[in-house]
Amino acid sequence: MRRLKVFKRLVIDSLDVITHGSKKYHLWMALLTLIMLIGMYCYSIQIEQGLSVTGMTDRVSWGLYISNFTFLVGVAAAAVMLVMPTYVLKDIDFKQAVLIGEGLAVAALIMCLAFVVADMGGPSVLWHMIPGIGVFNFPNSMLTWDVIVLNGYLFLNITIPFYILFRHYQGKKSKKSVYVPGAILSVFWAVAIHLVTAFLYQGLQARPFWNNALLGPRFLASAFAAGPALIIIVLAIIRTYTAFKIEDKTLKKIAMVVTVAAQINLIMLISELFKEFYAPTHHSESAYYLFFGLEGKTALLPWIWTAISMNVLATIILTFHKLRNNFKVLFFACFLLFVAIWIEKGFGLIVPGFIPGPYGKIAEYTPTGIEIGVTIGIWAMGAFVFTILARTAIKIETGELRYKKDK
Amino acid sequence: MSSTNKKWFSLNLNSKHKQGSSSCGCGKTSGGCNSHKEPNTELSEEEFFDAAVDASIGEERHKDGFDQVFDVKMSRRSAFKKLTASLLIGAGAVNTSCSFLAGDESKEKAQIDWEEQFKGNYKLMNNDEKKATVDRLVRSYQLRTGKTISMSSTNAEDDVLFGYAFNISKCQGYMDCVNACVEENNQDRNSQMQYIRIHEMEDGKGFNFNEADDNYYHEVPAEGHFYMGTQCFHCDNPPCVDVCPVQATWREDDGLVVIDYDWCVGCRYCMAACPYDGRRFNWSKPEVPESEINKNQHYLGNRLRKKGVMEKCTFCVQRSRAGKNPACVEACPTGARIFGNLLDPNSTIRWVLENKKVFRLKEDLGTEPKFWYFMD
Amino acid sequence: MNKCIIYKISIILCVVLCFSSCKHHDEEYHSVTDKIKAESKDYHGTSISSEAYIDHINTIEVTENDITFLIPERKGEIKSYSCTECHSKPLTQMQNEDLKKAHWDIKLSHADKMTMNCVTCHNGNDMDFLQSLTGDQIDFNASHLLCSQCHQKQFNDWTGGAHGKRIESWAPPRASMTCVNCHNPHTPGFESKWPERYNTQKINERK
Repeated sequence: MRRLKVFKRLVIDSLDVITHGSKKYHLWMALLTLIMLIGMYCYSIQIEQGLSVTGMTDRVSWGLYISNFTFLVGVAAAAVMLVMPTYVLKDIDFKQAVLIGEGLAVAALIMCLAFVVADMGGPSVLWHMIPGIGVFNFPNSMLTWDVIVLNGYLFLNITIPFYILFRHYQGKKSKKSVYVPGAILSVFWAVAIHLVTAFLYQGLQARPFWNNALLGPRFLASAFAAGPALIIIVLAIIRTYTAFKIEDKTLKKIAMVVTVAAQINLIMLISELFKEFYAPTHHSESAYYLFFGLEGKTALLPWIWTAISMNVLATIILTFHKLRNNFKVLFFACFLLFVAIWIEKGFGLIVPGFIPGPYGKIAEYTPTGIEIGVTIGIWAMGAFVFTILARTAIKIETGELRYKKDK
Repeated sequence: MSSTNKKWFSLNLNSKHKQGSSSCGCGKTSGGCNSHKEPNTELSEEEFFDAAVDASIGEERHKDGFDQVFDVKMSRRSAFKKLTASLLIGAGAVNTSCSFLAGDESKEKAQIDWEEQFKGNYKLMNNDEKKATVDRLVRSYQLRTGKTISMSSTNAEDDVLFGYAFNISKCQGYMDCVNACVEENNQDRNSQMQYIRIHEMEDGKGFNFNEADDNYYHEVPAEGHFYMGTQCFHCDNPPCVDVCPVQATWREDDGLVVIDYDWCVGCRYCMAACPYDGRRFNWSKPEVPESEINKNQHYLGNRLRKKGVMEKCTFCVQRSRAGKNPACVEACPTGARIFGNLLDPNSTIRWVLENKKVFRLKEDLGTEPKFWYFMD
Repeated sequence: MNKCIIYKISIILCVVLCFSSCKHHDEEYHSVTDKIKAESKDYHGTSISSEAYIDHINTIEVTENDITFLIPERKGEIKSYSCTECHSKPLTQMQNEDLKKAHWDIKLSHADKMTMNCVTCHNGNDMDFLQSLTGDQIDFNASHLLCSQCHQKQFNDWTGGAHGKRIESWAPPRASMTCVNCHNPHTPGFESKWPERYNTQKINERK
């Protein structure tokens, strides 16, 4: 009963925190809301007329939505990079960052689910996928595995920080015996969400571009590069605009993680390129399309080469201690890496899987305005959710927000 | 041509309308479609419908559609299902069914829509439930258009496993099969959806699909080319079925890989999983002119689809389960297409498999297609 | 540390269990051909029959290469059978008389002149029957025997079912079209023509 009361108070307090702030904050939220509204309008057109308003066709049947979904699963998985040392290895440095990381994971997961729903042809019958009410093709379909692990991960990433914040809100210490098992579980879980998402593509014998054993590990490597890179950028922003203290040491530790992951990712990329181009087979055509174009169709060329050069440049910058320890350079490298992996693990991975088609036909894919509108709208929603979560968490952690018995 | 009742002995089968009056151009039996302008000698439209209804719903036929809709017994599970689901997404249907202005017909319409929205997966239905949904769909179509269709829910027969063989030395690339398929299966005319693709291959280059043209328009057969048709191969180990998250597609006991269009959520995972380009998606609302609709339908086959769902070749389940050849087989003027029961040791398809040099596409993928190619 | 190991093991166990219980259920055959072989051993026949689709035509039963099936009756389809109603006299005599010409539009485009002419198949003295290369009578209803003299390969394929078409139904009893239902014996080749369909959407898609 008392807990309920406290919870009610917390909701009211956090609503208060969310709706009040500086001019910049209000402007930021208003901008996000506007973009979200535009996205919703685009989505309503898509609902009305069907997916024909997107650039997708029977040839390239997954596009921007699934690309972003794939990438964001990686971002969500990256929260584990912070959870593991903090909770399990008791590395104190990460403690402040971990709540932010988990908030980021929640936002990324919500975006993932939104992208999947946006991609559905029949969102009104999505209840068919709810276990118990509908028919859940478990364990045969990797998509059902993905639904389970994503929702499970979402649950973990909401409950653990919530428990900690809830205790802190009351001015109590959070009990290790409660959250540590959950944290350990979430470590395995994070690897699972990304591996399962990779298996979603890896398990299709119809698409040789995806059907290779390196896909899963490469997903992990790139996720552990892109996710923490985003966290570094977000922490830098938070450090600048709020009272939340984040030590340089923390950022440097995370940067180390990014560096190692980016290096491994690059090694795997080289291995993949070697396999595709040293002894090219019929199955290398998708890779040829991606990197060099096929039969004069070259839509992805500028994207992938931008991504590769950004990726290589960022990895080189990060590798040198001097450069990495200079924060301005670090943030720049993180930004490069994030964008590069967004391209590479997004449509650089999804679209070539469909080109050429099963019978060698090449039809290119260009997203339409509506599709881009929906995509940006969902990104804005993610940013919106994250801002709310982070703002509340920061206020609690800095002690500004505390439960007062009688107000 | 219409002098006797034995007609198809037209010598030149290249022209598709010479098959005679026992079957009309679209390949259906008399009365099955509306293209017979003169009074038919055998069955009138109503008689045909009665017979069809009789065959499909038996004793239940004395109830009218309205009773059938309202007499549906609700188990606790399905009631729960409906309740829960309705909480999620039912606002539109509630709106219409609660409207005070609505007449009896629109109320019935709303009731049907409601039950259709929250019905279960066809794969898991028992025969009564299958009949109920088919009756609802027939009634719904009647309410909407005033026209009557016949829809069957015939199950797979024991001791039947359908298989298909395609003779690449016979096919001349006329595309009569593509035409017949589109007409038979009510495919979207706007997007020009086609289940069948005919690939024009150059002699001496092997099966080079990359360079083959599947959308040629010139006099055929073209010099120095051969033709190879592809469609859904009804794999015995279908990757599309494994990946479907909601079991909206499955392999029936007679080997047909079918889709419950009403259960499909439109994620297109099956499309990515199919190595044979056998699946099609309704990117927008499919449209077929009323006069061109094939009214002889099967729930799993050529009934009208909606936007945002997958569809594909079903070996014309509405025909094959009734004993007829699929429309493509019937339409082929060269006899390049052979269809039959793989379990019947005396069937022609078995003879082909046992006596000709057959092969399948992408056999290394382990999908076990039931669609073989052979040469003379 | 111990906790960690227990978690790991339990997760691995879960995954192994899930994978071992999925997919490989009920009848499992190495290939679909094995499945066909195994399941057709106790084939009992089906209730599906072609009779409804072929009972409006007259058929005759033939047995060739030990395979028995139905083919459409032919004589009733020939406009003015029997031929002897006009061909009352041997052809040589009729050609001399000043009669109205018949069959003037028939052009023979079947093999070349050196191999075939009218009398390769028709018997000028008895137009009600076809004749084999050795001069034996062949009934119009059994015209496939005439074709099989040269086209052995096609004939064998046809008896098995690899050449030609079934009539409407795949189900037993088997009724197949006979040679002359598809091929005009005088010009047996298929004509070239334009395809029935052209897809303009695909062009857009592939630009």
